[in-house]
Amino acid sequence: MSEMEKLRIFDNELKKLNERVINMSHLVEEQVSNAILALNTCDMKLAKQVIENDNMVDKLDIKIDKLCQNIFALQQPVATDLRYIISSLKINNDLERIGDHAVNIAKRIEPFCNYMSFSKKFGIDELANTAVSLYKDVDQLIKTHQLVLANDIFHNALIIKDNCHKASEKIIEEMMHQSEVIVVATNLMIIINLIERIASYSTNVAEAIIFVVEGKIVKHQKRNEEH
Amino acid sequence: MILQKIRTENMYLYYGNKMALNNVSISIPEKQVTALIGPSGCGKSTFLRSLNRMNDLIDSVKIEGNIFVDDINIYDKNIDVVNLRKKVGMVFQKSNPFAKSIFDNVAYGPRINGNNNKSELKEIVEKSLRDAAIWDEVKDRLHDSAMGLSGGQQQRLCIARTLAVDPEIILMDEPASALDPISTSKIEELIFQLKENFTIVIVTHNMQQAARISDNTAFFYLGELIEYNKTKKIYTNPDKKQTEDYISGRFG
Ligand SMILES: Nc1ncnc2c1ncn2[C@@H]1O[C@H](COP(=O)(O)OP(=O)(O)O)[C@@H](O)[C@H]1O
Ligand SMILES: [Mg+2]
Repeated sequence: MSEMEKLRIFDNELKKLNERVINMSHLVEEQVSNAILALNTCDMKLAKQVIENDNMVDKLDIKIDKLCQNIFALQQPVATDLRYIISSLKINNDLERIGDHAVNIAKRIEPFCNYMSFSKKFGIDELANTAVSLYKDVDQLIKTHQLVLANDIFHNALIIKDNCHKASEKIIEEMMHQSEVIVVATNLMIIINLIERIASYSTNVAEAIIFVVEGKIVKHQKRNEEH
Repeated sequence: MILQKIRTENMYLYYGNKMALNNVSISIPEKQVTALIGPSGCGKSTFLRSLNRMNDLIDSVKIEGNIFVDDINIYDKNIDVVNLRKKVGMVFQKSNPFAKSIFDNVAYGPRINGNNNKSELKEIVEKSLRDAAIWDEVKDRLHDSAMGLSGGQQQRLCIARTLAVDPEIILMDEPASALDPISTSKIEELIFQLKENFTIVIVTHNMQQAARISDNTAFFYLGELIEYNKTKKIYTNPDKKQTEDYISGRFG
């Protein structure tokens, strides 16, 4: 096989990987939007669909892992290629976790739907919607590698995390005054936590993309947290 | 602190009026492996040969700039070239043992340098063969012809021959490119051991080999030193696009 042929195969593998990661991201975007739409509208049918679609996410997750493994074993990638494949593995992992959390939200909708007004009182619907827009930026970033989006993600994820903490505190206060809300409040706290995890994994993805584009490791850096 | 064993300053080399090295300035640290990479004809061998003045043997060669080994300008008038080549040994792509016994091949250098003490020679030969990781394979047939050895063994014998004159720097020009994978990995392992005591500069066409064995990598293109850095840096995040294109096979 000539060098040119080898290179062509390699570039095809990279293209395939890129397509799969983008597909994964779209799939997860659908899962997140649907889970949160189901949450905000108490749509049990939609919730069920999110739960069922999780196996598509899992399948694609495994396909991406395998493809990366083959590229490592057969192509010995270096430099940008190397960083791209490492990041794809990490991003794939983070997306799969975000997908899991969408499912976890979907699973919690039923007990929670009897108390919609309670949820609205703490602005959980709004909070959940901000997570959906955050993820839309993640999806765009994966597709375009435009680092301005990464900065937006860092910024918005911080705001979401902050709002999650604030909402949790308010709910705890409510529980202390009204013991009959404990069950629903606990459910709500779990959902808030899942939203916060989605924001957190979104940040990871943004860090991984920066690593591909600039070769800089930016995780574990303290970003100016605004409280 | 890491000592800089070899240093070139604004070095130019011409074959007749054709420029083969264009303003090369580099500093090569002691007891590390430094790999020279780049497409064929970019000047790697030329650069390597200039470090022990092997280019002197070519009439048309003209050199400008300075090359220092241990802070001594090796192109200075009063440099003893024979001594320089003892200090800066060289191993070539095609192993080139003499049609003599294994023992005589290794003893060749010390003998030329005037050592005829039998027991001393025996000691030097054994030590060199051990250091070249071939002793166990040849100790029972030291007086057989070197030509009967396999390609990989011949190459390690040539390394032993280089070691026998007690060099400080070993230059290697594609030492494993004619060898099978097992012999290649033996040479790579050997290089790894040798860097404990020697400064090694190696030309290789095998990108993965350079990545595996070297501490520093210098990328040459059209006679210019394009990028020189820690091998880890070059292979994960090179500064220059040309370097990136070359190491990832996208050159041209
Ligand atoms: N003895 C020589 N006489 C004239 N030109 C030479 C000689 N040796 C090498 N060159 C030229 O110098 C350039 C660098 O060659 P070389 O150092 O052998 O490159 P590399 O080792 O990177 O393949 C090439 O253009 C080559 O043709
Ligand atoms: Mg050469």
